[in-house]
Amino acid sequence: MADSGQLALINAEIDGELDAAQRAELARTLLADTKARELRDGLRRLCQTLDAVPLLDPPAGLQESILAAMPQIAPRPGRRLADRPSVTAWKHASTITAWRYAALLAGILVAGGVMFQLVRGPTPQPTELAGTIALDPAATLVDTAHIASGPVSGHVSLYRDRAELTLRFEVTASTPIDARVSSEGHILQILGVTRGGGGVSDSGAPGVPAAAALPGVAMHGQDITVTFISDGHPIGSATLRAPGSP
Amino acid sequence: MKEDDDGVLVQQCRSGDRTACGKLVLRYQKPVFNAALRMLRNVEDARDVAQTTFLKAFEHLADYDATRKFYSWLYRIALNESLDALGARKAFEPISGDEEDATPGPEQCAEGDQLSRAIDQALARIKPEYRAVITLRHFMHLSYQDMGDILMLPEKTVKSRLYEARQLLREDLVLRGAT
Repeated sequence: MADSGQLALINAEIDGELDAAQRAELARTLLADTKARELRDGLRRLCQTLDAVPLLDPPAGLQESILAAMPQIAPRPGRRLADRPSVTAWKHASTITAWRYAALLAGILVAGGVMFQLVRGPTPQPTELAGTIALDPAATLVDTAHIASGPVSGHVSLYRDRAELTLRFEVTASTPIDARVSSEGHILQILGVTRGGGGVSDSGAPGVPAAAALPGVAMHGQDITVTFISDGHPIGSATLRAPGSP
Repeated sequence: MKEDDDGVLVQQCRSGDRTACGKLVLRYQKPVFNAALRMLRNVEDARDVAQTTFLKAFEHLADYDATRKFYSWLYRIALNESLDALGARKAFEPISGDEEDATPGPEQCAEGDQLSRAIDQALARIKPEYRAVITLRHFMHLSYQDMGDILMLPEKTVKSRLYEARQLLREDLVLRGAT
């Protein structure tokens, strides 16, 4: 068995870190000690084999799945990103733990297919949760995004309804689709944007767009990201621009 | 500084630029995935760890010290996540190294190379802290300084741990008649 000095010299040689004096010392050792020579040859072979292992390509779609799972990360003044809601919890937003406001929201849900659940973000005032289901005819269109990403297609539009923003979904999908809406760390989960087989309204009637109010979402020109979720996995997204201050 | 330097991309990402975040993911998804793969020896687990690594990195981007290398910080998260995953897995399926694993290992380079296969199995039998230094040095080809940054250890300690890891691998191979 080589001593620690020999072992250090052999490893340093493998790493190309020997100076002339050390190289000479190692050479003398290897000439005189068969065991040390065997150890050096074995370690060199081992390291050469390890070094030859190529990096494998990551699974297809890894980048897309990471970006789709990312929350809105634009910082708010005076608030550090590290203080923001945990993306780990975001990743598992479908779990009961992440839906910590579900019980609070349950009381304000009305009959229909659209339901809000606050998943993350600042704790809203109860009045902020009383979002309308039916779109007010007086609401004005702010922005529209086209969606054509595999299982989901159509349009999602952003309306301003007095001092509140509302999303209107005109989308079709082959499977039931939920949506996550994120804006500056404020995140809403909207269930039942479609139920599969086509667009479903708040009344459940095919062809009538679903609408969802966005309580607590600011209006100062920031991006609002809508991520469509099927069976717990992101399948597409759209970004809308909020209006400036009302 | 080039526009696409890590520091610039990190700054843009901090400002909410998702394109910059996407560039960072594209740049580092391969080494992060491979680091996790070598630690965990399972493609699906490695994919999960890679995803969690980037999400945690973006979540805590404000905590990143811009005077340090971004990838060192990222790889540290990846290794910690891998170790956590190993810890969670340990109670259910201890790794003996003798079972078939789902990792395309050294044998991919030279089909049928028994030494390569034996090394891959021996890697599974050494402790995760030794596997980590082997992964950083030989699969990701990092310097001792970078390894020290990632492992938060002095270079001297990194070296001695790597020497021990190599020695352990070799002894394992000798014991099993694989050299």
